[in-house]
Amino acid sequence: MAFLEIDGLKKRFGAVEILKGIDLDLEKGGFLVLVGPSGCGKSTLLNTIAGLETITEGEIRVDGRTINDLHPSKRDIAMVFQSYALYPNMTVAGNIAFGMEMRGVPADERQKAIDKVAKVLQIGHLLKRKPSQLSGGQRQRVAMGRALVRDPKLFLFDEPLSNLDAKLRVDMRIEIKRLHATTGTTIVYVTHDQIEAMTLATKIAVMRDGEVQQFGTPAEIYNNPVNLFVADFMGSPAMNLIPATIGSNGSGFSVVMEREARQPISLPLANAPAGLSAFQGKPIIFGVRPEALTDPEGAERNASNIARADCHIEVIEPAGSDTFAVTNLGGKAVVARLRADANIQPGTVTPLAFNLTKAVFFDPATERRIV
Amino acid sequence: MSTVAETSITLTPEHDARPGASVRSRLQDALPKLVLAPSFAASVVFVYGFILWTIYLSFTNSKTFPSYAITGPRAYQRLWRWTFESDPPSSWYTSITNMGIFGFLYISICLALGLFLAILLDQKIRGEGMLRPIYLYPMALSFIVTGVAWKWFLDPGLGLEQTLHQWGWTSFHFDWIKNKDFVIYTVVIAGVWQASGFIMAMFLAGLRGIDGEIMKAAQIDGATTFQLYRRIVIPLLRPIFLSALIVLAHLAIKSYDLVVALTSGGPGGSAWLPSNFMYEYTFKRNEMAVGSASAVIMLMTITAIIVPYLYSELREKPR
Amino acid sequence: MSAVATPARQNTGGIRARTVNRIVIYGLLALFALFYLMPLFVMLVTSFKTMDEIQNGNMLALPQAPTFAPWIRAWSEVCSGLTCVGMKGYFWNSIKMVVPAVVISTLLGALNGYVLTKWRFRGATLVFGLMLFACFIPFQSVLLPMATILGSFGRFGVKLQNATGLTFGFGNPTVNLVFVHVVYGIGFTTLFFRNYYEAFPNELVKAAQIDGASFFQIFRRIMLPNSLPIIVVTVIYQFTNIWNDFLFASAYAGSGDVMPMTVALNNVVNTSTGVVEYNVNMAAAMIAALPTLLVYVLAGRYFVRGLMAGAVKG
Repeated sequence: MAFLEIDGLKKRFGAVEILKGIDLDLEKGGFLVLVGPSGCGKSTLLNTIAGLETITEGEIRVDGRTINDLHPSKRDIAMVFQSYALYPNMTVAGNIAFGMEMRGVPADERQKAIDKVAKVLQIGHLLKRKPSQLSGGQRQRVAMGRALVRDPKLFLFDEPLSNLDAKLRVDMRIEIKRLHATTGTTIVYVTHDQIEAMTLATKIAVMRDGEVQQFGTPAEIYNNPVNLFVADFMGSPAMNLIPATIGSNGSGFSVVMEREARQPISLPLANAPAGLSAFQGKPIIFGVRPEALTDPEGAERNASNIARADCHIEVIEPAGSDTFAVTNLGGKAVVARLRADANIQPGTVTPLAFNLTKAVFFDPATERRIV
Repeated sequence: MSTVAETSITLTPEHDARPGASVRSRLQDALPKLVLAPSFAASVVFVYGFILWTIYLSFTNSKTFPSYAITGPRAYQRLWRWTFESDPPSSWYTSITNMGIFGFLYISICLALGLFLAILLDQKIRGEGMLRPIYLYPMALSFIVTGVAWKWFLDPGLGLEQTLHQWGWTSFHFDWIKNKDFVIYTVVIAGVWQASGFIMAMFLAGLRGIDGEIMKAAQIDGATTFQLYRRIVIPLLRPIFLSALIVLAHLAIKSYDLVVALTSGGPGGSAWLPSNFMYEYTFKRNEMAVGSASAVIMLMTITAIIVPYLYSELREKPR
Repeated sequence: MSAVATPARQNTGGIRARTVNRIVIYGLLALFALFYLMPLFVMLVTSFKTMDEIQNGNMLALPQAPTFAPWIRAWSEVCSGLTCVGMKGYFWNSIKMVVPAVVISTLLGALNGYVLTKWRFRGATLVFGLMLFACFIPFQSVLLPMATILGSFGRFGVKLQNATGLTFGFGNPTVNLVFVHVVYGIGFTTLFFRNYYEAFPNELVKAAQIDGASFFQIFRRIMLPNSLPIIVVTVIYQFTNIWNDFLFASAYAGSGDVMPMTVALNNVVNTSTGVVEYNVNMAAAMIAALPTLLVYVLAGRYFVRGLMAGAVKG
């Protein structure tokens, strides 16, 4: 039995259905990231777990106990908010201890707990300050301290890093990951940033319009997206999704992409998914991640199915660690990820290697993956 | 910020009846509403209930004491008849013509003067911090104090006229406050003195809120200062005009105190506004039904102005 | 920000045109400053003059021999109607009315604003709209029924006194005025706090809920300590309004020794027995104006904010 279980959870505001039947589970010590664009319902879902919003249908269980009707303070959870939600009129110590104070914990025990948490997070020197006297990163630490001190069954994070600048965000991301590794707590984490999702999670739920699109490990989500939305949302730069048709060349299938003022490219598929046979001669969406589209020397050696094709390079974006080349296939800009030192010029025609082992195909009508 | 729901509906604490919820927790859930209830109930009873009560009284023949037998719209018929009694003017005729004169002049002068002063003060004025409070302080005074001060200032035997006579301008004559045809204009003067500084402050806040880049763009387009204000700034202040208009209309219809303190009603009640009419008829002339009817008419007037305004302000704004 | 800096190109008219322009602007501003200051100035100098000087001197002249006598007379001797005990009693009447009315209406406004923003329920906007409309009605339309109700409070007080020996405040004109001002003031106080709490982060309330704070604990420990600016604004607004009220005061405490300041002042000024002592009248008017003027001088910024908030929903 999983530690956190969510069954058929629905949430309606009047006639509007915000959550349309969510089923999720998470093992003890797991790190679940809810990711999706604005308005997908991920924060509402988190609030229902916290008890800050009621649910219309379904059940939420933690450690086998149904918590649907419990007050937030009785659920044995802690939450870190996007704005940190530190009480501006209290000191850092007062903020951390407020929950204990409300539960009637004696002052000396509170002090001990504060000192312990302050040590873990290295905020001992800040305890007497007010939140307004802290930097963004310090506030973030205090907010985590307030959550840690409760020693809860479940940690909830609501976009905790989105108010930090880029560098601090990376630092705090690592800090959170370390905290998770050392304390072994169970975490549910909401973000719209797919890099946070990929780096932190043991399980990811990609959400859209109040529905879970795909639920799985980061590798599953990244390599085997179930539909166009997940494929497009996860990964940066995003997966190339190229309109194409399926042709046949005697023994097997090939994927054919139109090009402007040139012959179409036709790439032979060595081990095409079985579902593709129904699409012969029909349009599909051909998905290939930028790192699977490289200069021939940079191609993965042990990939079994690599096809080459000459492509007209329109733009070069040297990014330091890599160089991105943009070409046009099927009427769309397609990004290839080349080695940083790849010798390539815009406006020229260069051979590119397509790693077709990593390619995925989608039905343009249903947007689902063809398997 | 991620879902539409969170921003439009903030917290939904558990106030839905939940199966198995104990009496105590249900009480907890109802607590916010219980806290609001007394205030809301007070509004319902003491505002809306009393308004209905006043309307009811206006259809009776109450004199000195309320009588609760409906006798029909007699009070309204009398007011209607008096509305056209101009020679000699009935008290009601005087009150509503005064309201028209006072309302129009008070509102338009306050708006014009307020805007004018705000624009002057917005010209990077040294000493703005000193001038602003000088223009605004009358708003802190009561109508009674304002009335007393201006009564003295406008008194022909003591105030301005006397002073100018002493300075040698002996032909100067200014006795509006004792003249039944002009006394209402002294109420306008005192009223404008009191409220125009506040209207200035509203416009000034509006001017300061205008995006400086719009002004720069207009200057680059070659607009003169005058054109800039007429074509760009004043149109942008439209919402302030609306708010100021509401404030002034509201003050104007309540200006009972000022008339009393400044003019004691004026010679023969010639400075009355409908609010004075209501008070006098209800509490001094023992014509409670007529007083109530006039109160209802005042309420209707203000409702017609305020309700559309409140509605547009409170309507859920599209996000 | 928006001040129009005359662009350099238009300066070709010359520095002189610009200087004339500035002189005109400053001249107009000074003229209007005179207009606004004049009545206060006249009131003030007159209150320090002897009657002799008033009758023979110039209204605008400074007092030749400044005297505090009119102020002392106004405070402790001046006649309102036939009673000649000065303004001091009426001043305390006003204080006794204003303080509780301000405290109660502000506290209720804060609670209402808290409920209306942080514990929203279906119909909350309608409830608020109905309460807000109460601010704008001409009070003439509730004057009579309220008089009737207050009358019955009075009769109930007499009964209570007969039964228990105490009226518990029923029928006391000051208590009545407190009640009236609270009832017709909560619309505004609720408006102030609602708009302030609207911008108060919901996440703080959520965090406090998770920390286990109850409805009232959140209000007392989280909301109130962070509401100082709006409390100041509300208190000033209510104080000024209630102190300056005349209509309710004259209708429900319009005579005898229970009158608040505004009514007493009006009576003093209009008392026609004997010689009219203008200097004493002006001193009395100054005494009536001082508390609100003092608030204005000390906390003008908050005063203006209150007026604005009462005018614009924002």
